[in-house]
Amino acid sequence: MEKFEKGMLKKLANDVMFDLNDQEISELQEELEIYVRQMDLLNRIDTENVEEMVYPFETPTTFIRDDEHEYALNAADALANAPRVAANHIVVPKVVK
Amino acid sequence: MKLNDLGKNVEANVECVLSKAHASQDKLNAVVTFVDCEKQIEEVKKLDQNLPLYGVPVAVKDNISTKGIRTTASSRILDNYVPVFDAHVIAKLKAAGAVVAVKTSMDELGMGGTNLNAYTGKVNNPYDFERISGGSSGGSAALTAAGVVALALGTDTGDSIRKPAAYCGVVGFKPTYGRISRYGVIPYASSLDHVGCFTSCVKDAAVALEVLAGRDDRDMTSSYEPVGHYAEALNSDLKGKRIAVLANVMDSIKDEAILKNFDALCEKLKARGAIVEKVKMNDELLETLLPVYLIIANAEACANHSNLDGVRFGMREEGADLEEIMINSRTKGFSSAVRKRFVLGSWSLFVENQEKLFRKAQKVRRVIVDAYADVLKDYDAVLASAASTTAPKPDESNDEKMSDTYLVAENHMVLGNLSGYPSITVPCGFAEGLPIGVNLTAKAFDEQNLLNIAKAIEEETGLEGKTVEVNA
Repeated sequence: MEKFEKGMLKKLANDVMFDLNDQEISELQEELEIYVRQMDLLNRIDTENVEEMVYPFETPTTFIRDDEHEYALNAADALANAPRVAANHIVVPKVVK
Repeated sequence: MKLNDLGKNVEANVECVLSKAHASQDKLNAVVTFVDCEKQIEEVKKLDQNLPLYGVPVAVKDNISTKGIRTTASSRILDNYVPVFDAHVIAKLKAAGAVVAVKTSMDELGMGGTNLNAYTGKVNNPYDFERISGGSSGGSAALTAAGVVALALGTDTGDSIRKPAAYCGVVGFKPTYGRISRYGVIPYASSLDHVGCFTSCVKDAAVALEVLAGRDDRDMTSSYEPVGHYAEALNSDLKGKRIAVLANVMDSIKDEAILKNFDALCEKLKARGAIVEKVKMNDELLETLLPVYLIIANAEACANHSNLDGVRFGMREEGADLEEIMINSRTKGFSSAVRKRFVLGSWSLFVENQEKLFRKAQKVRRVIVDAYADVLKDYDAVLASAASTTAPKPDESNDEKMSDTYLVAENHMVLGNLSGYPSITVPCGFAEGLPIGVNLTAKAFDEQNLLNIAKAIEEETGLEGKTVEVNA
């Protein structure tokens, strides 16, 4: 069975921009044992020549809209939930150092 | 409470619902935000009193965007988030004369089946406060069961409307994928997410569907199928209706009271002229329901929630640079249960895992749905118990630990999400004072047939409008 080392799980978490503490990693290692056993159940199903099912229905519901302005957030609304705002911009620490 | 129990005095209705909601809060902990309804009431008064939901106060799950009303998805990271627009379903509710009265608790971002993982804490089952409501739409289910509201909105990615409906003894309805637009709903897993409702009777679910359904260009999976007059066309005649009992589910349930209740229902349906037959699907295939769901849902969730970073909206934690702000905000903003699910999602999207996990799960999904369609080809609906037990106590609930028990009986309702077929849970009785629910699923866009059979079940159980007093 695949081994889930602490460093690997920490890296997986950091890759999606958060951290896990030691207790969470240990819980996750336990849960992964069951998870991997459940994933193995998929291998009993023959999927030779089966197409992936991405959405339930394949009836086209997309369309190309007319190139007309419909709705856009105004600046006040767009910034209404921003934690820090100055001069109509969202404030973050300096990115280019 | 049924929709018909409410009069046309919108102020009185709102006052009644808010006062009941406040009074029940200590017992149920179902509400995240009580809404100041003054402006909505003024808007409703300008509308035609014949609108289908005129003056009806509604409870709305807290992952549905409500303009000017805090929408947290029961996550700390969105604790201060106030949407600047209404979700499509909220606009539909308002146009039909309804008022958003409360926002309800849920498992954080929809990720859970217990409602134990909500930032505001456990939601209590109205029939026994020690027990869980089920989730993820637990707050909406509990308030409907307690007779606080006649209509509550929920969302359903695995069985998040239909399982809490069973535990709380109410009708929980998830129509066909694409039947109701998800525009403005904070997503969990886009290929599985549905919007639906809780009511105390089947007719009210039909009324709600007619209001909420219809094409919306802002949700590209929204269907062009015409919307029916579901309530007006309700017909509980079962003569000649073919109902398949999913034997795999019923054979794996050990609770005698649930089995006895189910068998009695089948006899009653037969007596009404229905043809009720056991069907069996491939066991190995049904045992993959949970892992297929988990792989797809966790991967889609991990991608969907990458925008929750505390930078443009939500709770921001300080950091020396942008990356540190994001990591600190997401670490503190998400519970450990959610972060662990994101890690699993990220793992299955690794380049080396994509073929053997993510794409494999998508392929098995097609095999499952083809087999399910094959069953439904010969029947009007598939029937099974909605859960393998009545509502458990928190320490009896194994949902968060991904238990390998009850792979089929506890997770079969995922079939409705993988396939997108319409599915409804209907109350069917009680065991030791706790509700039992049955689940019905029909072919895509065959909501009328589904509601008709559900109505017949309701007539047999006599549980139309059944609620429980929590403030006695």
